[in-house]
Amino acid sequence: MNKFLEYVPGDSLLHRMNPTAKLLAAMVFAIMCFCTSNLVILVAALVIGLVLARSCGMMRQTAGLMKAVAVFSIILAILLVFTTPAGAVLVPLPWGYIGTGSLIAAVTMIIRLEAAAIPLFLVFYVTKMTDMANAAVKNLHVPYKYAFTFMSTVHFIPVFMNDMKAIMEAQTSRGVRFDEGGLANKVRLMVPLCVPLLVSSVRKTNSAAIAAEVRGFNLRTRACGYKEYPFAGADIATLVASVALLVVAIAL
Amino acid sequence: MIKIENLTFRYRESEEPALHDINLTIPDGTFVGVTGAAGSGKSTLTYALNGIIPHCYPGDFYGSVTVEGKDTCEVNLTDLSCVVGSVCQDIDSQMVASIVEDEVLYGLENFGVPHDEIPARVDQALADMGIADLRDRMIASLSGGQKQKVAIAAILAMNPKVLVLDEPTAELDPASSLSVFRLLERYARQHGTTVVVVEQKIALMAQFADMLVIMEHGGIRYAAAPAEVLAHSDDLLRIGVNCPRVTTLVNRLRADGVYAGPACRNVEEARDAVLEVLA
Repeated sequence: MNKFLEYVPGDSLLHRMNPTAKLLAAMVFAIMCFCTSNLVILVAALVIGLVLARSCGMMRQTAGLMKAVAVFSIILAILLVFTTPAGAVLVPLPWGYIGTGSLIAAVTMIIRLEAAAIPLFLVFYVTKMTDMANAAVKNLHVPYKYAFTFMSTVHFIPVFMNDMKAIMEAQTSRGVRFDEGGLANKVRLMVPLCVPLLVSSVRKTNSAAIAAEVRGFNLRTRACGYKEYPFAGADIATLVASVALLVVAIAL
Repeated sequence: MIKIENLTFRYRESEEPALHDINLTIPDGTFVGVTGAAGSGKSTLTYALNGIIPHCYPGDFYGSVTVEGKDTCEVNLTDLSCVVGSVCQDIDSQMVASIVEDEVLYGLENFGVPHDEIPARVDQALADMGIADLRDRMIASLSGGQKQKVAIAAILAMNPKVLVLDEPTAELDPASSLSVFRLLERYARQHGTTVVVVEQKIALMAQFADMLVIMEHGGIRYAAAPAEVLAHSDDLLRIGVNCPRVTTLVNRLRADGVYAGPACRNVEEARDAVLEVLA
């Protein structure tokens, strides 16, 4: 699996599409998933997401995402089962009951979260972060400072993760046993390491700000971007299709 | 031209000045190597040249630093950046893009280089650093040495009149370090660029630099042509700067009165000196 939000090179349609169109369509698609409880539409949305993942060769990575989302959504689904008494009674509870409606709501919740997450996940992995930020500046007139802040945040996540790994390895070599005693012990041992990580993060962030400034960051305007991000037929079609799906989902 | 007059700087959080009584004049097109023991003020000297002090790190700043006629205290960091290109010590922090080409584009876009000039500038910078084949690579997938070259290419693309590099070969093996210095020297000669390099590798700097600056406790101990500076190898060793072995050898011959020529900078010069003595 690639590092967090690290671009996966490729030449699929999804790779070649306008970054703004991709992002907007994925967001509309996610909103659509939350606007409907129709299981058929949600299953269709999930299938569309998987087809998209297949088209850009990201099935393995998508399976990883689905596992992660499943863990989170199953916790929510269990809560839903015990707190949403609906449909025919299956198991009576002191505060209500588990019904057929509860189970449908739980399954809907899992499918909804999976379906909403996949297109957004794909967009972030098949689009260079620089293109995403520059296209947002060019097409959506987002101020460059905000786009750069977002880009830098994403850029620094793996850097800080590497720093944390290096600090943990240094501690391990001095006898700290991160691999014993389970997750709770690991978290307990990691808490004190947040201080050196914070110090290192602040230092790196400061260096990055200086490095950007000496490369003319303050001179940047919307017109400065070299690359253009025009909307092609496929981009417009995708946007129209996503809005149409949203309308259908709300209507049904 | 770079002119530093009576420069003293103390960081706000520090008791002692990081630099004191610095006077240095660097003519246009000079290749300058700066070295010294850890904490001697090398990096702070580069910050003074590219305006990071006093604009980014607050402290007490006395004296003046003029780069290409611009007083670094009077112009802002962005205006100074149009003249001075800087490669920082922490390469990972300097990178803003995920792809090599985008990294080189960044400065060109910001400084408003006409769009029709940009492709040629990117091509040239990548070719100058010998990394044209890395153009579409993810920066995260590069080695430390390749990242250093990308960082330098990103600055070279902006055609700065002055290039300030803080330990640009810190993560490189000897062969790659030599290659970077060769590329820098060739670039500087071709474009008439003034280059100031902070490095620990004195043998490399002695080979390529027109002027060596040796820092000690925030002051300048020596600032002269390499042969002149290397003649003081015993004193350099005392302040924590190791000279090349061949320099030490020839200096011993000089001290014993066996050889009267200048201090040597590399094996070839040492060989000539020894042959002269034997003859």
